[in-house]
Amino acid sequence: MAQEEGQRIDPEITCHEVVQWASAYLDDHVGDERKRQIALHLAICAGCETYMKQIAMVRDLMGMLPRERDVSPDLQRLQRAFGERSRRP
Amino acid sequence: MNVHTSTVTTSLSYGIVSVQEPELEQPPAVVNREAVLLSRLRQGDEGAFNELVTHHHGALVRTAMGYVADRDVAEEVVQDTWMAVIEGLDRFEGRSSLRTWIFGIMIHKAKDRGVREKRHVNFSSFESVDEEGEEAVDPSRFHQSGEWAGHWAFPPQRWDDQTPEKLLASQQAVNAMNHAIEALPKNLKEVLILRDVEGIEAKEVCGILKITETNLYVRLHRARERVRQTVETYLEG
Repeated sequence: MAQEEGQRIDPEITCHEVVQWASAYLDDHVGDERKRQIALHLAICAGCETYMKQIAMVRDLMGMLPRERDVSPDLQRLQRAFGERSRRP
Repeated sequence: MNVHTSTVTTSLSYGIVSVQEPELEQPPAVVNREAVLLSRLRQGDEGAFNELVTHHHGALVRTAMGYVADRDVAEEVVQDTWMAVIEGLDRFEGRSSLRTWIFGIMIHKAKDRGVREKRHVNFSSFESVDEEGEEAVDPSRFHQSGEWAGHWAFPPQRWDDQTPEKLLASQQAVNAMNHAIEALPKNLKEVLILRDVEGIEAKEVCGILKITETNLYVRLHRARERVRQTVETYLEG
């Protein structure tokens, strides 16, 4: 969910809504008004604060998962093809 | 962990350029580096080519795995992709970044291969996600009515003392997360892999997959939520 435009944003926001905005909020992809609203909610709602931290942790974990093994291309074949391309008129 | 931390940034040497979004104002150094690389490639500079292949190959194979579900096939798809890149270098117009272009070729080939190789189509490939319909989080965790409608009825429990490092030290937790990613429907898996696993900027992911940012975040959040549920089950299980 990215920016909403031209929509009036209700000052009240439910936990259910905060949860739906969590990923966009963490990536800073919500409008300023929505961002303030969520930040205010997080300051007073332990459940949503916990939820937001968990999503942030999942996001960070995804980039840190161990790679199965290094994958190497068939570099020789590719280099040969690349070299042939260069020699084309 | 601070909830306001910005996204983990990557320091990929080919940078993040989306010429279709000029308002992004990429640092000139990034744009120049890409222009220099492209010009070296077109002149047949083997060093530049090796650099390009080495840099992107692993990410391409991992992403291809999201479509074909078989490692050998994924590697073949990527090998074919490189051949197409070599063939297409002169036609590449630089309207997107090199990476966006290369990933676009790979995804096209991987999808095509996935369709042809029916025997590799696994369970998750059949599952499609209704973009609007399905809730990311189980609605029964919230009050359905009354004064507290929409607020937590069963809030998540804190993962006290858990750090990413601690979780990653547990083989069981790593397996559970990998399994959760593997089980995602394709349209959730592709955004999670590109955005979070490979760390590609949101705008570029949208360019690669040809989707809107709204769509990206709907999918990305569903994917992260499924992994979060897996971790929750692992910790509380």
